[in-house]
Amino acid sequence: MSSRRAFLQLVGGSFVLGQLAPPPRNIAGARLGASHEVGHRLLGSTGSAVGAPDEDERCDVAIVGGGVSGLSAAWRLGGRGLDVRVYELEPFVGGTSSSSDDGVVPHPWGAHYLPAPNLEARPALRLLESMGVLLGWDAAGRPRFDPRVLCHAPEERLFYRGAWHPGLAPREALEEEELAELGRFSDEVDALLERRGSDGRYYFQIPVALSSRDPEALALDRKTMAAWLDERGYVTPFLRWYVRYATLDDFGADPEDVSAWAGLHYFASRKLKTPELEASRYLVWPEGNGRLVRELGERSGASFRTGTLCRGVREEGREVELALEDAATGRARRVRARAAVLAVPAFVARRLVEAPEGVLPVRESSPWLVANLHVHRDIDPNHPWDSVLFGAAGLGYVDASHQLTPPRRDTVLTYFRAYGDADVRASRIALRDASWESLARSVFGDLAPAHPELVHATSRVDLVVWGHAMPRPRVGFLGARPFEERSQLGERTSYAHVDVAGLALFEEAQRSGVRAAEALAAPLGLELGESWC
Amino acid sequence: MVQGKREVCHLRSSVIFGSPMAVAERLVSPALYVSVFVIATSGLVYQLLSGTLASYVLGDSVAQFSFVIGLYLFAMGIGSWLSKFIERDLLVRFIEIELGLAIAGGLSAPLLFKIYAAAGAFKVALYGMVAIIGTLVGLEIPLLIRLLEFSLRLKDLVARVLTLDYVGALVGSVLFPSILLPKLGIHLTSVAFGMLNASVALIGTMLFPLPPGTALRLRLSCFAALGSLLFVGLALGDVVRASEQSYFGSPIVYTAQSPYQRVVMTRSARTTRLFLNGNLQFSSDDEHRYHEALVHPAVAALGAPPRRVLVLGGGDGLAVRELLRYPEIERITLVDLDQAVTDLFRDHELGRELNGGSLADPRVEIHNADAFLFLEASKESFDLAVVDFPDPGNYAVGKLYTDSFYLLLRERLGVRGLAVVQATSPAFARNTYWSIIATIESAGFRTVPYHAYVPSFGDWGFVLAGGPGLLQPTKLALSTEALRFLDEATLAQLFVFPKDSARPEGTVISRLNDQKLVPLYTTEWGDWAR
Repeated sequence: MSSRRAFLQLVGGSFVLGQLAPPPRNIAGARLGASHEVGHRLLGSTGSAVGAPDEDERCDVAIVGGGVSGLSAAWRLGGRGLDVRVYELEPFVGGTSSSSDDGVVPHPWGAHYLPAPNLEARPALRLLESMGVLLGWDAAGRPRFDPRVLCHAPEERLFYRGAWHPGLAPREALEEEELAELGRFSDEVDALLERRGSDGRYYFQIPVALSSRDPEALALDRKTMAAWLDERGYVTPFLRWYVRYATLDDFGADPEDVSAWAGLHYFASRKLKTPELEASRYLVWPEGNGRLVRELGERSGASFRTGTLCRGVREEGREVELALEDAATGRARRVRARAAVLAVPAFVARRLVEAPEGVLPVRESSPWLVANLHVHRDIDPNHPWDSVLFGAAGLGYVDASHQLTPPRRDTVLTYFRAYGDADVRASRIALRDASWESLARSVFGDLAPAHPELVHATSRVDLVVWGHAMPRPRVGFLGARPFEERSQLGERTSYAHVDVAGLALFEEAQRSGVRAAEALAAPLGLELGESWC
Repeated sequence: MVQGKREVCHLRSSVIFGSPMAVAERLVSPALYVSVFVIATSGLVYQLLSGTLASYVLGDSVAQFSFVIGLYLFAMGIGSWLSKFIERDLLVRFIEIELGLAIAGGLSAPLLFKIYAAAGAFKVALYGMVAIIGTLVGLEIPLLIRLLEFSLRLKDLVARVLTLDYVGALVGSVLFPSILLPKLGIHLTSVAFGMLNASVALIGTMLFPLPPGTALRLRLSCFAALGSLLFVGLALGDVVRASEQSYFGSPIVYTAQSPYQRVVMTRSARTTRLFLNGNLQFSSDDEHRYHEALVHPAVAALGAPPRRVLVLGGGDGLAVRELLRYPEIERITLVDLDQAVTDLFRDHELGRELNGGSLADPRVEIHNADAFLFLEASKESFDLAVVDFPDPGNYAVGKLYTDSFYLLLRERLGVRGLAVVQATSPAFARNTYWSIIATIESAGFRTVPYHAYVPSFGDWGFVLAGGPGLLQPTKLALSTEALRFLDEATLAQLFVFPKDSARPEGTVISRLNDQKLVPLYTTEWGDWAR
C-alpha cells in the first residue's frame, strides 16, 4: 500500500490542503494596513531629525494625527475661517474609527458603535445633536435619540455549547451556580454604577476625568480585574469568560493584565437611563464610528493631508515648526503654523517633541486584528447585529447591514480579535509577520464551530492589523495624580489622545481633542466662548 | 480450511462463471471493475469529507487531515486482514459491504455534524466513522481480487484492480474540491456518494447470479438504504418541493422563490390559496371577508372618499380590487417588497382571476420597495394608507410594527388622512393585537380597533389610525350591493369586542431597539398551537 499512501499524502498533504483548508483560493482579499513600515521610520528618531525641506508651507493650525482626537480638535476650531490642516500617516483619516465603502455595504475598520453618551460627555452629545441623531431633550433633561440609529433588535447572540442563544447570557443553558453568580455580579456592578465617592462624584464616569478621587475607588487601580474577581469569589467559568470578553472588547486585554478600576468602569460607567434605552443603548451605523469620523471631518472645515509622516515638532518664537515627510516619496516638507495639536499616541509623540514631564503618559498598547468578510448568505430575518462565540479566540463579528432594511443576502461581517496576552510585543510581532492566508485561515477557524461553511459563502476577506490599537489600562494606569488631563506641550502646542485618559473611548478622544483646541485660543488670539466640555 | 477453499472454488465455478459462461463474463467482470472504481472514488471522498469537517470544526487542518488519512489507511489494513475470515458467499458479502459503506459514508457528514451541534463526543464519532469506512473499503479490494481470481492471470488482475482503484481515488480527489464541495456542500456530497454506492450495490444484485432469496433480501436492503439516504438528503437540501405537496394539502399550481420568500399557490376544485414561506396569506373562499373588512370601514371613516391611496404590502392586489370600487380614487400607490408576488398578481392569469386584474389598472402604480425606505424617501401626502403586512413573526417584518414606522407613516398622511392596519388576531394573540394598537397610539394616532371573522384565519383584527377627529364609522361609503360580506348592520358589529379579546392591561410599545412584539407574537401563537 505504500504507493497509495504516497499518493494520498500528496493529495491530502498539499493539493487538498491548498484547495480545501480555509480559505480556498477563490477568496480575494488583502492586508490593508496599518502602515507600520512608514510609522516605524520614526524608530530611533527623537524629534530633532529635520532634514532640509523641499517645500515650505504655512497655516494657522497644524494637527498631527487624523484620528478622533485630531478631528475633534479640528471640529472645535471649525467655522472661524482658520486655515486648519490635519496631517495623517495613513491614506485615510479616522484611525481605529475608520471605515470603508468598498463593498455592498459600508463597514467599519475598528470601532463600530457608540453607547448613548453620558450627559457629562458634552462634546459627544453636541456632535450627535448637530447630526440630528439626538432629536431633543425630555422634561427630565435627558436626550432623546433617533430610534432608527439605536441598534435594532435583536442586538446580540451567543454561540454556547453548539447552539445560538439570544443575548450574551444563555440563561437556559447555564448551570444554577453560574446563573446565581451572574446575578450577583450584575447586582454588584449595578450598585457600583450608582456609587459615589466622598467627593460626591461617581466612582466611574465618562469622561474618566470626572470620576471620584475617593481613595477607596482609586484603590481599585492597584489590583488586576482578575484579582478583584478572585477576591469577590467569582469563580464560575461563564462569569470569568464574560468578564474576559468585556476587557478584551474595550481594552484588548485579558483581566489578568487590566486594572480592576478599568474593568469595573466598563460595567459601571453608562449612567443614562431613559425608557427608550432600556433595550439597546448602542448607536450603530453600517460603517460604525466611521460615520462620526465623517461628520467631525466635514464639520471641521479643515483640509486633510493623508500619507504624511510627521518627524518632529518644535516651537520657534511665535510659530510652531513641523517637519513632515511624504510617506510614498520620502520628500521632506516644513510647515509653519501659529499653533499645533499633536493627536497621536504618546509613544509616537515622545519621538516628535520634547515634552514636559507627565504630559505624555506611558501606555502599553494592545494589538488587534479586524477582518471584513464579504459574504453571500440566505436571508435570516432574525439575524442579530453582534454574534459572539463562547470560548472563541476572537470577539465574534457584527453585521454591517443590520440597521438596513430590508434584510440583505450580501453583506459584510466585521470580525474582531484582540490579543490580550501580557506580552503585547510578541503578539504584535507575530501579527506583523503573519501572512494574509494564515490570518484569514485563523478567522475562519475561529468562527467554524458556529459557521463551518462560512468559507464557501465568502468572496473576500480584507484584514487590518492594528499593532497599537488602543492603550491598555494596566494596574496603576491612573497614575500618581489621577485625572489631571495635562495637555500643554508648549505655549502653542497641545496634546490630544485617548492616552491621556488611558481608556480608548470615543468620548475621551473627543474631549481630549476639544480641550487641546481650546487650549490654543490664547496663542491664536481667538474668542472660543464657553468650553464645549 | 479445506472446506473453505472448496466453497470458494464452488462459488467461482458455479456462480460467477456458471453457464452460460460467456454472458456472465461479459456482464459480471465489468460490473465488478466498475465497483472497484466507485468504491475507490467514494472511499476517498468520504475521507476528504471527514478531514474537511474535522478541520472546519476542530481547526488545524494539517493535523486533522493527517489523522484522518493515517487512520483511514490503517483501517484499510485492518479490513484487508479481516477479509481472510470471509470464506463463503463472497458476492453476497461484497454487496453487503458495499451497502454498509453506502450507509456509513452517506450518513457520515450529516451525522458527524449533528453530533457536533449536539455537543456530543465529536472526535470519538469522527475517528470511529473514519475507522468503519476505512475497514469496509479495506475489505472490498481483497474480496474483489478473490472473486476475479481465475478470470485473469494474477499479474494482470492485480494490475487492473489496483489501477482502477488508484484512478478512482484520483477522480475523487479532483472532483471533491473542484465540484462537489463548492456545488453540493459537505452534507449533500456525503449523501450523494452514499446513494451512488447503494445504487452500484443494487445493480450488482441484478447482474450477479445470486440465489433468488438472497438477491431479493439484498435488493430490499438496497432500496431501504437508498430510501433513507434520499430522505436525509431531502431533509437537508432544498426540502421544500418534495414535501410541499403534502404540507399544502392541495395541488400546487405556481411556485416561485424570491430573495425574500417562497411563493406557493395551490388550487383545488373549490379554492385557491396563496402561501408565503408556508404561511397562508389568503384563501379564495373567504378572502373577500378579509379585504372588505380591511378597506371599506377605513373609507367610511374618512367621510369623503379618498383621492390618493397608499397600499403597503398587499401585493396580491386584493385590497386594491376593493379600493377600485371607489371611482373617486385617482391614484393608488402600491408598495410591496417582493416583485415575485406583484408579478404573479399583475401578469399571471392565476392572480388576475382573483383580483380582477386590479394591478394592471392605470390608476395603480407599483413600487417594489421596502415600506420603511419608501416612507423615509417619500414626500407625497396620502388620504388613506392601507397597511397589510405579514404578522410580526420575525425581527425583519417586526420593524414595520414599531413606533418609528408609525411615526413615518403619520408624516405621509394628510391632515384628515387615516390609515388602516392589519394587526393579527385579537383572539389568538390578544396581547399582540392590543400592543400593536398601543404602539400606533404612541406615535400620536387616535385608534379605532375592530375585527372580523374570516374562516380560514379565525377572528381577525384591524385598526383604524387617524387624527383626533377619528370616529367609528357607521355608514359605508358605497352601495353594499357589490359587497359579499359587509353591510351596515355587519359594520356596526365589527367594533364590538367580546370580553376574552378586549383590551388587556400591560400592553407594550414596540421600538426598533427592543421589538417587544416579536417574542410576544411568537409566544402567543406558539401557545395556541400547543
